Amino acid sequence: MLTKIAGGDIIDPVNGRLGQGDLWIRDDKIVGAPAGGAADRTIDAAGCIVMAGAIDIHSHIGGGNVNTARLLLPEQHAAHQARPAATPLSNAGWSTFQTGCLYAKMGFTTVVEPAMSPGAALHTHLELADIPIIDKATLAILGNDDFLLSMIRDDAPSTMIEDYVAWTVASTRALGVKVINAGAAAAFKENVRTFSLDDVVPSYGVSSRKIVKTLQAAVDSLGVPHPLHVHCNNLGSPGSADTAASTIAAAEGLPLHLAHLQFYGYGTEGKRKFSSAAARLAELVNTTPEVTIDIGQVMFGQTVTISSDVMRQFSARGSASPKKSVIHDGDGNGGGIVPYSYGKDFYGTMQWAIGLELFLLIDDPWRVFFTTDHPNGAPFTAYPALFALLMSREARNEMIAGLSKSAMALSTLAAIEREYTFEEIAIMTRAAPAKLLGLTDRGHLGAGAIADIAIYRRNGNIAKMLGQAAYVFKDGDLVVQDGEITHYRWGKALRLNPSPDKAMVRRLEDYHQQRYGLSLDWFNFPDSAIAREQPFGEVACRT
Amino acid sequence: MAVAWIGNRETLVERAAAHAAALLGSSRCPVFSLDTDIHGTRAAIALAERVGAAYDHADGAALSRETALFTDKGAMTVAPGETRRRADVVVIVGELPQVHHEFVGELAGTVPDLSAKNQREFFLVGPNGASAPPLNNGRAATLLSCGEASLGATLAALRAQYRGRQTSQPVSNFDDFAKALEVARFPVFLFSGDATDGLALEMLQGLIADLNRTSRASGLHLPASKNGWGSALASTWMTGFPLRTGFARGFPDFDPWRYDVARMIAAGEADLHLRISSSIVQPQKKRHRMALIALAKTQKPIAGAAVTIAIGEAGVDHEAVFYSSRTGSLRSVDARAASELPSAATVIRLVASHVSAEAALPC
Ligand SMILES: [Zn+2]
Repeated sequence: MLTKIAGGDIIDPVNGRLGQGDLWIRDDKIVGAPAGGAADRTIDAAGCIVMAGAIDIHSHIGGGNVNTARLLLPEQHAAHQARPAATPLSNAGWSTFQTGCLYAKMGFTTVVEPAMSPGAALHTHLELADIPIIDKATLAILGNDDFLLSMIRDDAPSTMIEDYVAWTVASTRALGVKVINAGAAAAFKENVRTFSLDDVVPSYGVSSRKIVKTLQAAVDSLGVPHPLHVHCNNLGSPGSADTAASTIAAAEGLPLHLAHLQFYGYGTEGKRKFSSAAARLAELVNTTPEVTIDIGQVMFGQTVTISSDVMRQFSARGSASPKKSVIHDGDGNGGGIVPYSYGKDFYGTMQWAIGLELFLLIDDPWRVFFTTDHPNGAPFTAYPALFALLMSREARNEMIAGLSKSAMALSTLAAIEREYTFEEIAIMTRAAPAKLLGLTDRGHLGAGAIADIAIYRRNGNIAKMLGQAAYVFKDGDLVVQDGEITHYRWGKALRLNPSPDKAMVRRLEDYHQQRYGLSLDWFNFPDSAIAREQPFGEVACRT
Repeated sequence: MAVAWIGNRETLVERAAAHAAALLGSSRCPVFSLDTDIHGTRAAIALAERVGAAYDHADGAALSRETALFTDKGAMTVAPGETRRRADVVVIVGELPQVHHEFVGELAGTVPDLSAKNQREFFLVGPNGASAPPLNNGRAATLLSCGEASLGATLAALRAQYRGRQTSQPVSNFDDFAKALEVARFPVFLFSGDATDGLALEMLQGLIADLNRTSRASGLHLPASKNGWGSALASTWMTGFPLRTGFARGFPDFDPWRYDVARMIAAGEADLHLRISSSIVQPQKKRHRMALIALAKTQKPIAGAAVTIAIGEAGVDHEAVFYSSRTGSLRSVDARAASELPSAATVIRLVASHVSAEAALPC
């Protein structure tokens, strides 16, 4: 089928296409204007902007910890209306089905779950397979697992470490690798309560820095397109900006991605010993080209924090609201679930302002990524409001008027004039994520790209405009019209598929037999276990 | 081989499914009880939404105690693999279901390789005369009891004594326990909702929290039913809620009292019962005014059922995904003796295809 999207304002920074024009789709792909071709279907996009489908690189949408959070908080996500006919189960509050529908309505077509515990890969992929419409991907967590820490301790050759990382990525069907408070979860099992970049995991004698550097090098030499995704030590602590600064410095010329930098943007100034270090971190990011970051913006209201940083979550238990939490010591990281409400008090205001300062003070939209670390800083449903804050100084000032004055006095936010343009939004939420993840088939509107397209009707109200897309296409299927789901379909989980080294597989088989009393096939699964047609889409490694 | 019946009359699966769909379509208050794998659960919940049914596990009471621990209080838990590799003190809390005895035996036959201590000690919390699952190597668990006191009361006394408080009745062998804790690096408490009530589970978590003030400890959840816990996980991602959820109002509504399916049947609220059991078939008391649709591994119609459709056993007749209490996550299992019998999921989807509705099912 040939579709013509007629007369919209095309915003496609990758192909340098900006301005009014037509966009053509044949079946599931974008094509050049066909010579004399008559469209089977024409979408009138006059008065609309036309962008590639958005890509979220860091949103906790499925897997063991996310599901435990749902289980812990039935009172937080009750549904209150019967379902619209076309969208089975999509009215269920905070379900897989609702996740896909809500993302699609905003024009997001690919979302990365950034914290898949390798042992829970099947569970994670089953959940992701029940998220309709959009494509998904996962990052596999390494860096607190005994197998890796033992190899580092024993000075294993780097090729052996690469074989292990490759096996993990392949067997868990991941798109990349994440390390979360490297070594801290292992140390916490030995009753260590705080852990920094140069602290050493007891029993292994391996520092957090060494783990990060080892994984960074392995990911790079394997040609995994996405750089090592790092959740630094000391998340949320006053003074954590020092940790983030040390980690940025540790990139040392190789690509490194730092997740949710806002949660490390904290200095120790002022009478509360809690201040903004955003300007300092932004400057470091600006001058360190091999580093990319996402924000983890805080927005006000009730949410729940879900993290595989079990040590941090354990120490945050006291702030749980409502007063209940789950702390799990897993095979590698485990995790913690702590419900939390961000208030407009000093601390909440400070966190909110620090996130926005980072967004606005980091110059290059190709290296700063749009996230709330869903749901840790805020649920992803806060995205439209966040777009408005980035694109309008006036919207920020209106908000600031209702916030803690003492916090704002310590922030430069009110003085920042920058407003994101639609082109910068298209880079930050489309072009740059595709590049960062190695997805050449999306994030742009050039011929040959998959037809993931978001069309927004221009409106002075940015939140409304970007919150309810006029039209969304996923793989050429029209899935959203006027902000409502019109067609239900299933996306894929994007994965790498490096071939595992046979000697490593034998080693792992022995290891699992000896240490767990189980053969390796207890942890493996065939694609058929997902019970959907073509649940995975393969992405190539760099050669 | 016959695989479907309407009443006692043999029929085609297609026709039995259509009849089941008609019964579901005209039911005022349909209820489902599940004892099936992840994919059977997914299909059943999708059907429940379509027909406005409530669903529960076949042994809903034990599962509900386990889910309530999480929905109401939260917990500190540890993975089974870490328990094997790290637990230097293992405390068995009350009676554990038979299915977990092998793992407990295995813990006794191995040492924690990630612990500096390299050995394990075993304790058992329970009333006088309680017995632990058989431990390997002729080892025994030290009994921590308060005479005939309940498990909850014993755990409360244990917690109080650990905090140095007076208790009306001291816990037997407490000094041994205290001594073990003093040098323990990672004590793990094994618990299940099978024979343990909610208060006891909560008290246990209180004790674990106390221990974590200065050292480490956690609890290993050994579910009363692997199918039950697996269904709870799938239900939670699909609807936001564990079992005992109903769609009577058109959206998922979680109410562990109201949607207790055994209660709904006993109280005469339910007029149609869809029972999905891909493993065992339990006889059921005939209830007037309530129709039964039985999906079971059977070669004959289930007594009293309006419709019976034979299904295979998950993991035996067809591949399956289960919760594994050995890995603490979901596990894919090949068919052990593949057969032609359809899976629960296949039959449920067939029934659903006969229920009139405008949109395709998601599962
Ligand atoms: Zn995160």
